[in-house]
Amino acid sequence: MTTTLPTGRPSFTGATAVRLDGVRKTFGPAGRAVTALDGVDLTVAPGEFVCLLGASGCGKSTLLNLVAGLDAPSAGEITLNTSRPAVMFQEAALMPWLTAARNVELPLRLAGFGRAERREKAAELLDLVRLNGAGAKRPHELSGGMRQRVALARALAATLRVGGDPEQSLLLMDEPFAALDAITRDVLQGELLRVYRSTGTSVLFVTHDVREAVRLGQRVVLLSSRPGRVVREWTDVPLADAAELTEEITGHLREVISTHAAA
Amino acid sequence: MPQLDRSAEDVENLDAVGSGLDALDAPVGERRPSFRKRFAWGVLPPVAALVLLIVVWQILWAAAFWSEAQLPAPLAVWDEFWGIVVDGQVFGFVWTSVHRAALGFVAGVLIGTPLGLVVAKVRVVRAAIGPLLTGLQSLPSVAWVPAAILWFGINDGAIYFVVLLGSVPSIANGLVSGIDQIPPILPRVGQVMGANRLSSARHILLPAALPGFLAGLKQGWAFSWRSLMAAELIALSPQLGVGLGAYLNQGSSLNSIETVIAAIFLILLVGVGIELAVFRPLERAVLRARGLTSSL
Repeated sequence: MTTTLPTGRPSFTGATAVRLDGVRKTFGPAGRAVTALDGVDLTVAPGEFVCLLGASGCGKSTLLNLVAGLDAPSAGEITLNTSRPAVMFQEAALMPWLTAARNVELPLRLAGFGRAERREKAAELLDLVRLNGAGAKRPHELSGGMRQRVALARALAATLRVGGDPEQSLLLMDEPFAALDAITRDVLQGELLRVYRSTGTSVLFVTHDVREAVRLGQRVVLLSSRPGRVVREWTDVPLADAAELTEEITGHLREVISTHAAA
Repeated sequence: MPQLDRSAEDVENLDAVGSGLDALDAPVGERRPSFRKRFAWGVLPPVAALVLLIVVWQILWAAAFWSEAQLPAPLAVWDEFWGIVVDGQVFGFVWTSVHRAALGFVAGVLIGTPLGLVVAKVRVVRAAIGPLLTGLQSLPSVAWVPAAILWFGINDGAIYFVVLLGSVPSIANGLVSGIDQIPPILPRVGQVMGANRLSSARHILLPAALPGFLAGLKQGWAFSWRSLMAAELIALSPQLGVGLGAYLNQGSSLNSIETVIAAIFLILLVGVGIELAVFRPLERAVLRARGLTSSL
């Protein structure tokens, strides 16, 4: 495989932030290998918000791991025209021994930022997720929603480079709100949209919740399960009637799931 | 388009809901009990237990079930103890032993930490020496004293050898179990943030493993103190000076049960003292920072 990371000056002119060409991923030994993803073609334009929708076992998380560089595809090609992708998981996974501000500073520290600059940028990012007062708190002193916001700030911090111009950034999110209660999820979805609009980042958002996908995404991509393939996609989602579209997509999702009952 | 052109008012409402949630959902920190309360709970029970023990001892002695040479009066032991305090000998005994144990322990940490890191992270090393390390942990280090004397002669080298064999396995194993208990998501987060192997060890693995490592250090200290006493008790030589172990041996060879009990008491006192003065506060600070204080 080739993961093309930007060398030197990245170009904003490229029409894609991420491109997946015929990506395949199999797990296990040859012969008994399980195919998680098969021939996935997908592009995310710079500044676009794409929701990947699918039932369990459709390889959504696998796909995200491949884009994040945590794993390599068995075949096909992934091209990134962005800085290091920011990744958010279902768990906030904050370092329990660091304060919220220090958690946001950690990726900056790994990238070699000086102390003063780290402080400043971490404060800005905490401000962005409206946690400017909570920087000195430890993860166990924060609510689940606040922890996810710290995780978002930290993920965004990981895209920054010393002395680098602001690059096109990419935010990869693996069901980040699935473990939260309904009202917190609702607030955080609004929060994410706000951050998305103010940063101009591209987002690849994995979810199994149709409503969430319709609410957040500009484009919704439906994946089949075992192996994961792109079944259908809906563009211009914000222009459609939300209730109608949700029903339509839910219908397709049900169809995809039903095919597994027969097999 | 219901969501993208959300009106300003809506956004403001959402902000208010968000702030409300933050206020309601953030866990309420438990207030630390007052100093007096902590003192009452931390100090009074053990003191009461000690007093009770001495009272029972005094009663048993007064009942004269055993001869004076087997069970001395509490006061006789106190006199022996006070005697060595007054003539200053006790400081020599304690210093000789404690500085040896501390040096041995520091050397144990310096050897045990990289060893534990390698055993935890390199599979073939773990397969090769992991079981050996666990086995050494359960081998009483006093078993090494004869070998140490034959290899090094009766000198400091022999004593440090025994102390190291007592403490290194515990420290290394503590770090291994500390690393094994790290939630796998944390190193993954480190990886997506751009940490390489070395910075991941420095910024994620070691701090994440700290509670387990600290437990290993505590046990390592206990084992090095224990091993030292065994070594001092057996390896006697004028050039080694008189530590607590040698003092205990003196008591035994002089048939002085008062000395023996005073020595045991001193050995216990140093062990408990180090635990209370060094490891307990360290452990509390680490656990409190991570919100794991419910058991303390």
